[in-house]
Amino acid sequence: MNPGDRELFIQQVREHHAGLRGFVRSLGVDPLWVDDVAQEAFIVAYNRLEEFDHSRDFGAWLRGIARNLVINERRKDARRKRIISDNLTEVLIASSSATDEEEDEMGDLALVRLNALKECVKGLPEKSLKLLKSRYEDDNSAQDIAEEFSMNPPAVRKALERMRTALRECMEEKMQMAAAV
Amino acid sequence: MKPEPTGSELLQRLLHGEPDRDDLDVLAARAAEDPGFARVVADELAFSGLLSEAIRGGASDEGRAFETNLLSAALPVEDLLGRVRDGSATTYECDQVVKHLWESPEALMQLRRDLAMEEFFHEALSESKSEVAFIQSLETRMWAETRRDHFVDDFTKRLERELAPAADEVEEGKIVPFTGNWGRTAVQMGAVAAALALGSFFAVQMMVDRISSKPALAAVVKTSSGVIWSGDTAPGRDGTIKSGLYHLSSGVVSMRMASGSELTVEGPAVFEVGDDASTFVHEGIALARVSATDLGISLKSKGLSISEPARLIGIDARSEGTTEAIVFNGDGGICLTEGGKCRELSEFEAVKADHVRERLVDVPYNPKAFSNAWALLSGVENNLGSVRIEMPGTEISSEQGKEGEVQIYVENESFLPDRDLEVDQVVVGEFSVAEANPGQQLQAKGELRSYLLQLWPTEAGEGGEVETSLTFDHPVVGVIYSSDRLVSSDSSVGSSISHAVDAVNDNRGMDSGNDEILLSQDRRTLNLRFKGGGTQAEQVRVLVALN
Repeated sequence: MNPGDRELFIQQVREHHAGLRGFVRSLGVDPLWVDDVAQEAFIVAYNRLEEFDHSRDFGAWLRGIARNLVINERRKDARRKRIISDNLTEVLIASSSATDEEEDEMGDLALVRLNALKECVKGLPEKSLKLLKSRYEDDNSAQDIAEEFSMNPPAVRKALERMRTALRECMEEKMQMAAAV
Repeated sequence: MKPEPTGSELLQRLLHGEPDRDDLDVLAARAAEDPGFARVVADELAFSGLLSEAIRGGASDEGRAFETNLLSAALPVEDLLGRVRDGSATTYECDQVVKHLWESPEALMQLRRDLAMEEFFHEALSESKSEVAFIQSLETRMWAETRRDHFVDDFTKRLERELAPAADEVEEGKIVPFTGNWGRTAVQMGAVAAALALGSFFAVQMMVDRISSKPALAAVVKTSSGVIWSGDTAPGRDGTIKSGLYHLSSGVVSMRMASGSELTVEGPAVFEVGDDASTFVHEGIALARVSATDLGISLKSKGLSISEPARLIGIDARSEGTTEAIVFNGDGGICLTEGGKCRELSEFEAVKADHVRERLVDVPYNPKAFSNAWALLSGVENNLGSVRIEMPGTEISSEQGKEGEVQIYVENESFLPDRDLEVDQVVVGEFSVAEANPGQQLQAKGELRSYLLQLWPTEAGEGGEVETSLTFDHPVVGVIYSSDRLVSSDSSVGSSISHAVDAVNDNRGMDSGNDEILLSQDRRTLNLRFKGGGTQAEQVRVLVALN
């Protein structure tokens, strides 16, 4: 592999890791194993980089590799599976596309969207940020968060849902503003 | 022409796990067109889920699963979707969701978007899911699969260039003001290394008679540059560590525990020292070394505990859902904190504890994540020249080195020689020519560690000079640089990795009469001037006394 190809590959990892992880998760891969599967897709891509047709979209090629990896998960022994349910993954895969452009969180604009989301997170009030971090960084359940913040679990779920919606709207707004510039 | 399968035939294929991609597409289309058919499919899938759970579980499990499923069946679909989003849904719950998706195909795409968005929230809010963490982990795996692939070097350079925090982000006030000289740059000036030896490593003696209420349980013995502690607890100015929760924001710190074991932690890390000197690694990378004469170490991390400490064992607790344990030297036992499942590990084996499933999974030996901690724990520091400290288990190869590079292998972590060893004569305090010599006897007493240095010429065939200066944190008691003695000491001093290069290089040593060697007065620093004269690497074996 020549240095130019390697450089291209590194650039592609930076550009596509966020979207690829979203895509992998959207196929029903267990949250704990999302990075594992996405990394495997990058490694397969790296080992087959010479087969890549440079006129094609690298992101779509990566998603195709990841999709095949997830399809293979269904054939594995139950203890080694990285998906949460065969049947669920079955229907999610059926709705995905290996070649077409994926939209939103799973496609080629994913990194831009992620960066917009990070900007939105920065603007959150401290308590909201703590709540979100407890959920997404510490991986606490609504029950655990309720105990930590002296709230009841339904209130936690509602608060998280509200914040998710607000962040999503903020992200979309930032994307639209960026597109208008 | 092949007849179109009926809905019933397609469903049978699905239930028997035999549908192909076309079957699924047709099935999905028919379910979308016919809600009645979609309901039948969903009911059958749900029943299959129940059936498989009942078969997989025992009699009591069956009852529990049935009860759980009954409760799940009463949940509104939004709650079930919520459980799928956070990854906590059971098989039955997933099947309920599948049933909903069959009936409402438009919900399918929304679920995929929601799942991807959940992943985004994790990436935006969790450090362990950050771009840097992902790329470093990918780099590690790439290294494991390709060993010395350019990918790693390329990536490292880019990360250093693009992602390293700006110097002005360092919070000066939080740096523990140790009195020693921790920096590496000061010792890289190339002066005679003897004068610098004490500056590169700083030993802090245990202080057990502290005036304060809590006794010292450990002491910092070494640190890398850039160590920053955050949180309320930090080591004392003299390096003493008492019980408490420690947040190491950056840098690598090595501590000697009261038991005599050594624990090295790489930031960002959170670890706890208990009143009984036990340690719990909440987050980050940790390496524990237990010497032959120590009392051992009590070490735990998220979801796992070390039941039998190996001589050198690593913990990687950077991930939220898993913790990895890796044995570098000796044999060790790892147990899940919950459930009591244990695994015996031998040298160069690794296991991952999956916290959600409460199970131990074998994973490939991949020490790359521990390279920074290992650089500090290996007991040797570079003062001059291009030096690479190889990870344990790295085989010596005649095709590995870069021009002008010195590779350092810790061949044998610790051993008690069973007979006197013949080593080469070295003049202490001044450079002398490394040449054939009568040798001298090193008495077999005390615990030793052996290092193998491999020096590569700068220009093939031209004999370009390589100079290096290395400081060891234990006194050097023997140096073997002649080819014959290297070969004869392989079996008694080296390890399996020492033998690989024999066949390709008869003149392994640096005893051609062109090279020079200097051991400092305090026997801690070794300077080598290697004038090459060939295309092959030359080797030097260094023995240090551990006690």
